[in-house]
Amino acid sequence: MIFINIKVIEEYGPIILSGLNKTAILTVGGFGMGFAFGSILAFTQCFGGRISSRVATAIEESLRSIPLLVLMLLIFFGLPEVGLSLTPVQSAILAIGLRSMAYQSQILRSAILAIPRGQIEAALSLGMTKAQLFTTVIAPQALRIAIPGLVNQFTIDLKDTSIAYAIGVSELFTEAVHVAQVALDYLTPLVFVGAIYFVITFAASSIMSRVYKRIAIPGLGASQ
Amino acid sequence: MSGEILRVDNLWKSYSETPVLRGVSFEVLRGEVKVIMGPSGSGKSTLLRCINLLVRPDKGRISLEGKEVFPKPYDSIHRIRQKIGFVFQSYNLFLHMTVLDNVRVGLIKVKKLSKEEATKRAMEALRIVGIGPELWNKYPAQLSGGQQQRVAIARAIAMEPTIMLMDEPTSALDPELVGEVLNVIRDLAKQKMTMLIVTHELDFALEVADEIMVLDGGKIVERGKPSEILNNPKHPRTRRFIERLRRRVEHGHR
Amino acid sequence: MGIVSAFELLAKYHSIFLLGLRNTLILTATAFSIGFALGITIAVLREFGPKPIRHLLAAYVEIIRGTPMLLQLFIVYYALPAIGIVLPPIAAAILGMGLNSGAYQSEYYRAAIRAIPRGQYEAALSLGMTTRQLIEVLAIPMAVRIAFPSMVNELVYLLKYSSIAYFLTVIELTYAGKIVGAETFQYLEVYTIIAIIYFALSMAIVRFCKFVESRIRVPGLGAPEATRGLI
Repeated sequence: MIFINIKVIEEYGPIILSGLNKTAILTVGGFGMGFAFGSILAFTQCFGGRISSRVATAIEESLRSIPLLVLMLLIFFGLPEVGLSLTPVQSAILAIGLRSMAYQSQILRSAILAIPRGQIEAALSLGMTKAQLFTTVIAPQALRIAIPGLVNQFTIDLKDTSIAYAIGVSELFTEAVHVAQVALDYLTPLVFVGAIYFVITFAASSIMSRVYKRIAIPGLGASQ
Repeated sequence: MSGEILRVDNLWKSYSETPVLRGVSFEVLRGEVKVIMGPSGSGKSTLLRCINLLVRPDKGRISLEGKEVFPKPYDSIHRIRQKIGFVFQSYNLFLHMTVLDNVRVGLIKVKKLSKEEATKRAMEALRIVGIGPELWNKYPAQLSGGQQQRVAIARAIAMEPTIMLMDEPTSALDPELVGEVLNVIRDLAKQKMTMLIVTHELDFALEVADEIMVLDGGKIVERGKPSEILNNPKHPRTRRFIERLRRRVEHGHR
Repeated sequence: MGIVSAFELLAKYHSIFLLGLRNTLILTATAFSIGFALGITIAVLREFGPKPIRHLLAAYVEIIRGTPMLLQLFIVYYALPAIGIVLPPIAAAILGMGLNSGAYQSEYYRAAIRAIPRGQYEAALSLGMTTRQLIEVLAIPMAVRIAFPSMVNELVYLLKYSSIAYFLTVIELTYAGKIVGAETFQYLEVYTIIAIIYFALSMAIVRFCKFVESRIRVPGLGAPEATRGLI
């Protein structure tokens, strides 16, 4: 591309790349938190009592309909009013984590519901307890079914770490914008970070499909 | 080796106001094979699922080897279920496990046997149902229906249950695969395995059953020796039902 | 935080909240429309078009889906002026969101086109239809019906992501919140109000679309809903 200025990359590339660290922290932290709490939420919705599953559904649905940016601003600027001051990085992880939790809960829930009823009946007929049923039959099947959805969510979380620019987290995108302002060239740094995001999402999805093929089991809803 | 294994007294079950079982009573003695027949919707599946408490009855009494299972279970439900083998119409093998794992998972997780011991027993059970080692590492979806059902039977007998419940074990199978599964069940009957089987295979029932019970509208409308029931049914509904089954067989439907 | 103070805030700053609401709706609706037109075009070209174009469009879709929407908006707003295209913030936001949505929507329509039973095409060809007629008479109308649930998801998605226009200083809902927050320092109340408005808007969209769907539904045509597609 003729508009890309190689000199800018040579000079500022390392600065932009230094944002990779924070981007990784936000992605892994947010997605990890989302998985931990999303599993609990999905579990509650599928196996919890009437009231607790309703509460879980309400949490999930409200978090899914609020923009990540609003959530992040609410946490970073709003929570200090009630005495809870979080650093920008903590706020960003919490916001990404909460949003990811809502989506992962949905992904895991539909995976659990996709398990044929007969599988559960068969496990109970063998005399399994509920805990054994969950660990030996439900969890392994649900996770396999959920993998593509979870990886997709991971890439969404990764891309949306850029929104943490709003609260001054020096992640990849923020670094790129800062460089752009200094170098007076927007296109080069933006295309440069764009390529980085692209490579990571692309790698994540190719690793996913490889893992998926590896653990794929004939006949187990793995028609991806 | 005699004695009562299962006793069901006046069992009732409704699904949202619709009665499915209306006072069913019978017993199964050690080593006996009892066959339940009846039109679809007569409550056969529900009856079997009530016995191992996959479905909770509304009223009545169930006991296993003289000990109460319902309404006041003498032990935790999952421990009672270990003694009741269940074979499903749609096999319900665990889709994410190999043949061998399907058969030994209950032994390892539920009975807490060592892996070696469980594997040994699982292999024995698989040999009994005629599933050779070349299939032990396959997944359920890679097997024929007949093979899957034989593995499912192995999974149940490996637990050494005191009674086996079978819910139309051959009715989901292609006609040419029915024989192999019935042969396995026949062998179990010869070994004096106590069984309660829902099936519409008339010749098979005639051969292996000690008694046939006909369920209709949630009640046992007729019961007796297979030859009596199949050749000389007393109840008009039974007569019509048996005739319909015969016609189906003659026309090659199932 | 007090409910009273929240209502006071709403009353005192209603004009800026309303401006924000208006711009959020404009962003969402126009970006969705651009995305719809672009999505249908890409889907049809990728399914029926010549090979080089298919590859080119596939690359476009992958690049859009592999990079953040925020980055795309920045390129449209800050980088296009370098080649002489200068857009006001709201136009840049709409264009960026539309380009983004087009890529995602094309995946829904492509899946929908593929879900149309083969026999339908065979019947159309047997009637002597040209490819063009087949696309117009059969592929697009059926695909839109099949993809409808995904379109609803996309609309809600765009509603939420229109908040990103905040970074281009477009006064949409979230930016309106920033303005009011900076003046009152009641960030908690302000952003809670904003969150509730988004929540209500998404509910309204979903309800409305369920109604529309019941009107355009054709017996026997339909598909399981999809979310922002799998990569």
